[in-house]
Amino acid sequence: MTEENAPQQQAPPAAPSAPSGPPRFSGPGGPGGPRPQGGRPGGPAKRGKRSFVRKKKVCRFCVEKADFIDYKRAEILAPFLQERGKILPRRITGTCARHQRWLTVAIKRAQNIALLPFAAEL
Amino acid sequence: MEERQYDLIFICRPDTPESDVDKVISTLEHAAAEKGGKIEKTEKWGRKRMAYRVQRLREGFYVYMVVRSTHGELVKELERRLKVADPVIKYLTVRLDEEMKRQEKLKRHRERRAARRPRKTAPAAPPSPGSGEQQQPAATA
Repeated sequence: MTEENAPQQQAPPAAPSAPSGPPRFSGPGGPGGPRPQGGRPGGPAKRGKRSFVRKKKVCRFCVEKADFIDYKRAEILAPFLQERGKILPRRITGTCARHQRWLTVAIKRAQNIALLPFAAEL
Repeated sequence: MEERQYDLIFICRPDTPESDVDKVISTLEHAAAEKGGKIEKTEKWGRKRMAYRVQRLREGFYVYMVVRSTHGELVKELERRLKVADPVIKYLTVRLDEEMKRQEKLKRHRERRAARRPRKTAPAAPPSPGSGEQQQPAATA
């Protein structure tokens, strides 16, 4: 889970450090940059190697149309934890706000009855 | 007072004989009956590995129950008994009726929407069959 997400996580911070500036924002690159304008100001797609398509993340619980997240099923909650036992944020898992709210409650309950760890041991 | 539903999970030491676990279960059942509640369901999940050590134990015998009661005192009493019971190392009570209510509400809502959708999409997605139907009777008549 986390390994999968690692590149997605690191991608945005990597972009600003690159000389070309982030492809998304027109800010640092400047709207009136010296580069040739290719239709859009700030030119997001000019640097071919910098542009990458981000896959749209979908809330897994919305797909299943979950009305309730069962705290007793640790195996469905486990993917939303980091190895150390932290709850993964929405921005990484793509869970919608409502389901993330339910999810945190479910995880916390599961932790209390030792179905999920509070923190990784040792 | 309205009836409330709780999940009750407790964990026994892994080395307790099953008869002792049953004893704990029956005391809880008695307590529930005394207080006017009832235990709807009892599931023995058996020995499971716990996510962290509890009283230096890595495994525990999980028992899951669904309790219904109109009287909040029952939970207090059940928890007191679990605290006193020797084989029990951990327990958790969760009140669930409100979440169930919410779940049912959402389900009903979705079903209603799903029931409405075919009527809605039929004229909307293919507009011609809807108008065709209107025209056909006119044509036949």
